[in-house]
Order: sequence, then C-alpha cells, then structure tokens
Amino acid sequence: MNMPNSSTAPNANEYAGDEVSAIVLDPGYSTTRAGFAGEDVPKSVCPSFYGQIGDDGDSSRYFFGENSIHNPVGDLQIKNPWGSDGIVEDWDTATKIWEYAITSRLTGSKPTDPTKNGLNDANGDAMEVDVEALEQSEKPLEDSPLLMTEPGWNSTKAREKYIELAFEEWGTPAFYLHKTGALAAFASGKASGIVIDVGASHTSVTPVLDGMVLRKGVQKSPLAGNFVSNQIRLSFKQSSPEIPLTPHYLVASKTQVDAGAPAQASYKTFATPPTESFRRHEEERVLTEFKESVVELWPGPGRFSNGTNEEIAKNQPGRPFEMPDGWNQVFSSERFRVAEGLFDASAALTDADSPKPKDEWCIPRLVQQALTHVDADQRPLLLQNIVVTGGSTLLYKFNERLNYEINTIYPSTRNKLIAPGPVVERKYAAWIGGSILASLGSFHQLWISKKEYEEHGSNIVEKRCR
Amino acid sequence: MASGRDVRDMLGLPIGADAPKAALQKRPKPAGPSRLPKGVAREVAALYGERPPPVAVYEEKKAYRAKRANTGPAKKWVRQSFVNQARPDGLVLKHWRRKRDPEEKMIGNGEGEDTAMEDRENEEPYVESSGEFLKYNVEPEMPAFTDEEYEAHLRSDDWSREETDYLFRMIKDYSYRWAVVWDRYDYKPAENSSLAVQESTANGEASQALAALPFAQTRARTVEDLKARFYHISAKLMKLHIPEVQMDADQYARYEMLTKFDPTLERNRKTLAAALMNRNMDEVKEEEFLLAELQRINMAANRLDAEREELRARLEAPLPNHQSQAGLQSFTSSQALQALFQQLFQQDRSKKRSSGVGPGRLSLSGHDIIGTPTSAQQAQMSAANRRQSMAQQVPQTPIKNLPREEEFRFNVSTHDRLTSGVSFGSDKLLKMRQAKSNVQTQKIATALQELGIPDIIPIPTARVADVFEGLIAKVSRLLDVRKVREKEEGECRVLEAMKKRLNGDTDGANDDADKNDVKEEKDEIADSQEDGDADADGDAENDEDNDEDNDDDDDDADADGDEDADGEADEDAEGEEEDDDDEDAEGEDDSRVPSVRQVSEAVSTRAMSSVGHKRSASVLSQASNKSSKRARR
Ligand SMILES: Nc1ncnc2c1ncn2[C@@H]1O[C@H](COP(=O)(O)OP(=O)(O)OP(=O)(O)O)[C@@H](O)[C@H]1O
Ligand SMILES: [Mg+2]
Repeated sequence: MNMPNSSTAPNANEYAGDEVSAIVLDPGYSTTRAGFAGEDVPKSVCPSFYGQIGDDGDSSRYFFGENSIHNPVGDLQIKNPWGSDGIVEDWDTATKIWEYAITSRLTGSKPTDPTKNGLNDANGDAMEVDVEALEQSEKPLEDSPLLMTEPGWNSTKAREKYIELAFEEWGTPAFYLHKTGALAAFASGKASGIVIDVGASHTSVTPVLDGMVLRKGVQKSPLAGNFVSNQIRLSFKQSSPEIPLTPHYLVASKTQVDAGAPAQASYKTFATPPTESFRRHEEERVLTEFKESVVELWPGPGRFSNGTNEEIAKNQPGRPFEMPDGWNQVFSSERFRVAEGLFDASAALTDADSPKPKDEWCIPRLVQQALTHVDADQRPLLLQNIVVTGGSTLLYKFNERLNYEINTIYPSTRNKLIAPGPVVERKYAAWIGGSILASLGSFHQLWISKKEYEEHGSNIVEKRCR
Repeated sequence: MASGRDVRDMLGLPIGADAPKAALQKRPKPAGPSRLPKGVAREVAALYGERPPPVAVYEEKKAYRAKRANTGPAKKWVRQSFVNQARPDGLVLKHWRRKRDPEEKMIGNGEGEDTAMEDRENEEPYVESSGEFLKYNVEPEMPAFTDEEYEAHLRSDDWSREETDYLFRMIKDYSYRWAVVWDRYDYKPAENSSLAVQESTANGEASQALAALPFAQTRARTVEDLKARFYHISAKLMKLHIPEVQMDADQYARYEMLTKFDPTLERNRKTLAAALMNRNMDEVKEEEFLLAELQRINMAANRLDAEREELRARLEAPLPNHQSQAGLQSFTSSQALQALFQQLFQQDRSKKRSSGVGPGRLSLSGHDIIGTPTSAQQAQMSAANRRQSMAQQVPQTPIKNLPREEEFRFNVSTHDRLTSGVSFGSDKLLKMRQAKSNVQTQKIATALQELGIPDIIPIPTARVADVFEGLIAKVSRLLDVRKVREKEEGECRVLEAMKKRLNGDTDGANDDADKNDVKEEKDEIADSQEDGDADADGDAENDEDNDEDNDDDDDDADADGDEDADGEADEDAEGEEEDDDDEDAEGEDDSRVPSVRQVSEAVSTRAMSSVGHKRSASVLSQASNKSSKRARR
C-alpha cells in the first residue's frame, strides 16, 4: 500500500467522494473549460471564439478550437457567442463550441460530431443525421452527468435553454446548473464569502452564503479584461508617436531595432486577407501578452492619480515590451494608467468611441453595492472571505490594490483576501469548484435526472438549481 | 546488549548531550528556502521575474513512496451502476467499483447496504443501491398547522394565508437561513388574491402561479418582518400544542425567546451595526485613538489611586487604638506595616534619647524610612502639611518633656525633621558662610574677617551654630543694605552729572535731598533686620540660572546682588507653589502639567519684567525711579 502523502489523492471516504464521471463545463467569454469532475484542472480549455467563413446560413462553415481560429484563412471572421450583457446570445454556435470542448478531449468524437468533419460538412447535414439516427449512443454525453456553470445574473430563459441543451442535444442522464460565484468560493474551500471575479467581458461581485448565491447582492460591470485591452489600445493610439500594434500573423521576419525606433520587418501578404475581426482577435493575443508582462496596478496607498503617485510611478524602473514586428520600448508610468480604470473610473482613458465608464462600475463600488444588499449581520463574515478569481486578477499588483481599496471602504472590519497563488486555480476557480462539487457522493441527490426533466419540463431548473 | 551509553562509558567519553550537539554543528543550516520551483532549469526560472508565469509550471515531486506490496493478481474494476436511496426517481449512475467476485466476499470499500440480489456467473445487470450519503439528507423541522388552527389563531391583517404558506415553504427550502430566505423572498400574490384568501386550502400550484405572473409586489418585507411572522406563529402553535404550564425548561425557554422577538429593536440593532461598519477611516482612527486614550487614562488612574493611597498611608497617622482592636490582622497591609514601622522608629528614637547611649531595641535608622521610593515626595511636602502631620504624630510618641533649664544643661534639642546620616557641626557652619554667588561669599567672608571671627570655629555646638546663623543673617542683610546704598549713590552720581550738565544751579540742593533719602533708608533697614530672614534654602539651580542671566544683561555690577535677591524671593515663593501642585496633581492628568509650566513661566516673565522695569527706570527718569523704590520698600 502507498503511504498517503501530499501528492496522493485522498481516500474517497475521507471527503465523502463518489465519482460518477460527471463532466463539468464552465463556459466563459474568453475560454470554455471542460473536464471530468474530481480532477484538479480542466482537461479541455478551448477558446470561446469561433471562426466562420461565409455569412450566416446553410453555406457558412464554422471553425472551433485554438488551432483553427488562429489560422489566417481568407475571409475568416472571428465571432463570439456571448452577448454584451454577459449572457449567451448565439445559442446555436455556443452549443457547438461547448460540444467541441467536451468531445474534442473528453468523451471522444462520435461519427456525427460536426466538429470532426465540420470543416467540410455543412452544419445542416450534421443536424439531419442527428435527427435521423435518434440513437442514444450517438449523443455526446450519453453516460456522463453534466454540471454547468452560469453567471450570477443569468436569465430564466437562458437557464432553461441550458437544461434543454443538456438533455435534448447531448442526452445527458443528469444535469445540474450552478453559479460561478458559489463554485469559485468552493474552490477556495469557502462556503460563505464574497467572490470578486474579473474575467474577460465582465467583472462580477457575488455574495455567497452557505453555498448559496445571494441574488440581490450580485453585481456586474463591463470593466474587465476586455476593457483593459481597450485601454491599452487607446494608450497606444494616444501616445506620440502612435505605437503600432501588429499581430504575429502579419510578420514574416523581423530584425532587431532600438527602443522606440520604427519596426524593420518583412510582412506577409495574403491573396484574400482575413477579416478585420480576425485581425482584432489576433491583436488581442498581443495585448494579453502585454497585460501579462507589462501592465501593473498602482498598489496604493491612494489612487494612481492622487498627489505625487504618478511621479513616484515614473521613477520606478520601466518594463520593456517587444511587439511581434520587433518594435520595442520601455513602458514607464503609462503601464499603470491602462488598468487604473478598473478601480477609478475617472482615470480611464477615453475617446469618441469609448466614453468614460460609470463610477458605479468600479470594483470598490461593486463590492460596496453588493454588501448593502446583504443582511447587515452577514457582512463582516463575507468580508472575511473575499475570494478573488478570474484571469484579469492576475494583473500585477491587483490584489494589493484591491486590498487597499477594500480596507479604505471598510476600515473597521477584518477583511481578508483569498487569492489562490497558482495561475490555474485563479483562472479556473469556478471549474475547480464544480469539479469538487460534482465528485461528492452527497451531491448525487441534487442532480436533475432525465426522468424529472421529462416530467416537469425545463422549468424544473428554476426550482432545483438555486 | 550494550547501549550507546555503555559504549561511551567504556571508551571513557562523557555521557550526555555531547554527541548530538556535535552532530548538529556538523550539519550546515539550509540557507533559506529557495524560491526556485524544482524541476525548472535555473535559466528558465530567471526569466520569470517577480510575476507568476502565465502558463502553469508543474513541478515533478520526488516524494517518498512505499514499495507496492504484492497483494496477488490485479483486481478487476468495473463501472458499477447504482441508485441513490436519497433520490425518489431511481436515477441510475455509474461509479468505479472492484469487480465482485462470486467466490470471495466483498472486499470493496463496503459502502451501502447491498441488496440481497446477487448475480452469479452470468453478466446480469446488477444495480447497487447506495444509501451511504442518505445521512446528509436532512430535512429541517417545521411547525405545522391545520386550516382550523390557522383560521382560529394565526390570521393576520398583514399576511395572507398564501404568503404565510410561501414563507413557510421558503424557510423549509433554505433551512432557516434567514439571510437567504430574505434574499430569495419574492412573493407575488396570485391574480385572484381576494378569492385566494377565502379558500383556505393550501394550494400546491400557488408557487407555479407566483413564478409565472409578474404582478406588482405587495411590499418589500424585511428580514425582521419575516422573522416576526414566523416566530409569532411558532409561538402560538407551541402554546396550542403544549400549554405553558406543561412546558419543560427547554421548551419554555424557546417559547419565551419566540414571544420576545421585537422586530423594531432588531431593526435598530442592524442599522447601528451597518452604521458601525460604514464608518470612514477618520472615524475609525478617532475611535482607536479614543480607546487608546481611555486605556491610558484608566491605567494612569489606577496608578494614581495607588500612589495616593500610599501617600495617604504615609501622611495619615494610624488611629491610636487601631492595633489594639484588630491585633495582628491590622498589619497585613503594607500601609499598616508602614505605620507600624513609623511608630517603632519613633519609639526607638525617643528611647535612645531618654537612655542616652546604647544600642536600641531595633536597629533602625532614619535612612531606612527616608530611602523609600516616595522620599522625594515626602521631602517636597509643603510646610503646612509637615506641621500638620507632626502635630498628629506628637501625641503618640511619649516624649519626656524636660524643663527648660535641664534641656539647656543636658544640651537636649528637638528637631522638626532629621536629615539622614551623620553631619558635622563644623560643616553646618561652613555651609552658612556660603552664599549663592561667589561674589557674595567673598563679601561675607570679608565681613566676618572684619568682625574678627576665625575661619574655623573651635567648638561648633548647636548653640554656637544658632548664634552663628543669626550673625550670618545679619551680615547678609548688612551686605544687602550696603549694596543698595552703593547703587543709589551711583545713580545719584549719574543723575547729578546729568543735572549738572542740564543746569548747574540746582544741583547742590538735590544732592543733599538724595543723601538724606539714602540715610533714611539705611536706618529703616537696620530696624527691620530682626524679623527678616535671608532666603537660606532656595532652589540653588534656579538661582544660579537667574544669576547668569542677570550677569549677561547687566552692565552695572553693583545692581547684580540686588536683583539676585529679588529673583530669589520670587523663585522661592513660586517653588512652594509648585511643590504643592506637584503633590496634588502628579500623574493625574497631562493637562495639569502645562498649567504648572505656565505658572512657572508666568513667574519667570514677571521676574524678568521687573528686572527690565528696574533697569529702564534707573536710566530714564528720576520720578519713576523713586516710585519703583517706594514700591520695593
Ligand atoms: N496573466 C494575466 N494578466 C492579466 N490578464 C490576464 C492574464 N491572463 C489572462 N488574462 C486576461 O483574463 C481574461 C480571461 O479571464 P477568464 O478566463 O477568467 O475570463 P472568462 O471567464 O473566460 O470570461 P468571463 O468571466 O468574462 O465570461 C482575458 O481578458 C485575459 O486577457
Ligand atoms: Mg469567468
């Protein structure tokens, strides 16, 4: 027998575990995470963007997965099924993306899977085959229960859509829907807390009590990763001379140039160039790189625009960044400015297309708002468990700043930030929480079974998943 | 078997902690935990910088693993179908289990109560029934009421039957988590609400209707409203089911709690709690500051109390019949002991005094008492206090009063206060020759020489000392007067010179008048010599300071002494005041300290101003000079 140590999995009896090879699906604006419950990272992380050639209709072709959407094919458009309100808008393609995320790496593809030969098949054909062969075995999730995550503000309609999708399209034997906020808290081992999730399209603040989301307190704002990207674009545009943003696919070869000097690179030419949306998506990759390596948040005390803080920031050593075409520069205090808008709306860069964000969208205000909608007795408890999650919280010094801001609003309570160090745990907290939940033996009784769904209809999700 | 101890013994090595210590020294301390994750090349790790790498790096841990014990051929595992007993719908899920061997008994994790149904060789689908997690399926206990009960006792104008039912359902669903119940509470009255109130049956489809119809909400209920309603009903039901008299202690306590719930009180409490949380940084800082201050004051107050207590213990005489009443018990406190000590000391002294020489019963010396921590305070006691305390102490010490002539004969003296240690009479005499300033000392010395008094007086008895003291007092007064005279004369000369320069006619008359004036003054001072007392023990330090100041300011060397004396007088009076203050206010409050400082400052400025006044007067006008002279007199 192996000696138990930190690297061996605990005995299932110790944590009331009982794995039923459930699949956990955590769709987000930037990536869709899927994997088997009980594992500690999602096996399948796919971009939520998809490629499309041709206009909507039968003749259009769809591309999913990292490999195909970054391929500069002529007329390729890059789209995203999520709406601006943080709720899925384009259900048909969202279904396909999620199915791709599940089947490409978890369950294996079935003969009728449109993603397998979807490059050639028209979408309609695949559907026809599905309808013709109404065989259980041909559905992708035939013997795996499915746990899906949803944003805290999901509409009733969208939730019903989820359950219909799971049972009708994928044929799952059991289904459950849980909010990302509560799951992220579970991932940190907390049943109660306030979850601050700064993702790509939305920042959300979710108070969770005993594993249940307090709906009145859920706050969201569009100031998240994409907002920071736009701020960087603006910053590039507004600097003089303008900083060129050339994505990788355009560059054939580059030569080294001095800092600030114009790039000397040879560029690729395309017979039919990819669309503007493709370019934008590729630029986004460069910007994410920029966010990872250059952008920094002013850690406090005070805001970045306060007093001499900008001066202090200027005197700190800058950070170099090299564009794909070789252009490079050391970024000094401007690297603080681009993310400052997350905390201080008046510090955000603006232009004609991007007006000043609302004050109540800033993270400190969201936290404040969330707490005012929670029973006064619970507030100190929540503030003791501030769970930080989402990819954009990886911005350098984000936690320091958040800590400072919260302590300024609530100086008299004991505020504790819980921010897992490992990148994976921060980015995939909701998935990990789902993985924990769905592998518990005591969770079995919560599943909505196919039988129940057939009895009560899709409305059952409102009653059971709350 | 020889233990390490035995071996060491045989080899003649010291037994004990020597060997492990050496081993400890040999092993170098690991130099801090290295931040580098294992399994990553140093060059790669150097590229990380201070940020976490955007891609997760997994380190391969080489943890210790025990060798696998061979337990026979590999066991087979199957995906076993099972139903969960907690589920009503018989959902079949699959989990991995050891394959059941018909020959062997189940070795698996032994979970669930396996049904008797056993499948033999043939692969009949077997469905395990798992009740392992049934225990987690807890249903909250809820008070229940019938329709009649509701109609009879539980009706409320504010709450319809439907809403009450809705509330109960919510509480059950969320297991009494009030914060969640309130959060999710979203009651929408059905369309025909008036009708619905009439029909008293609990209609199951109410929730359906509620969910579907987007009707205007009646009004937002607060947590307190919900709680009040629920507790009210619970209490009523409790009373209905078990009459108050039959309740046991537990039940009655619960009943009391339920009936005593006051929503307004609760609401106020929450508003206060929220207000407390929403304070800003300044307010919190202020509170922290105030709390610290309070703590400081409390501590100071305790200390002050203790000090006062001690002081009182020293000042107040023990009651005469104190000890006889209480016996030994009265000496348990340090205060009482202190009093006893005092008393014994007095007795001892008087005994010594009466018996002359010979060792006392107790070898106590005054030093013992005076050397106690508060001796400084005691020394600072105001004269009034001192006299009072002595007056109190006198009756209890049996002093043998000798007639006056005997006292004189035996050279017995009584003292108000004894200084510590031994002092020589000659020292005392020498001390009297010393004045505050060197100039003055010199002057005294010359005066004494003129009188023919030797530097060393052969037999410095106490009486001689007394006489000498009187003499010195007179001498210093004489010197003072002399100084005044010289000064006046000098001024007169200056004024005369000025006058002469102005008009040569009148100066003779004026001069005469001035001389008369001075003479008069001299007589006056000579008369008053007896009652005046030279400021013998002033605060030496302060005086010297003053002296220096004056020396700096003064161009007139003669005026020096005069002002000196003035300053001393002031300082002396002030010193007394300060001492009084100190005794009262020590450690009481900081605010007192500045006041004391203010007093002393005021006094010193007063002194300064008087000095300045004098000087300007002497230089400028005769009239003001005269007036000031009069004032001084
Ligand atoms: N190291 C990093 N530093 C800064 N930003 C990062 C980093 N890594 C990822 N991001 C940003 O985080 C975002 C993705 O975060 P996340 O995966 O939590 O979003 P999501 O869950 O897919 O989106 P949403 O929650 O809005 O639906 C992207 O905008 C990406 O640019
Ligand atoms: Mg997210």
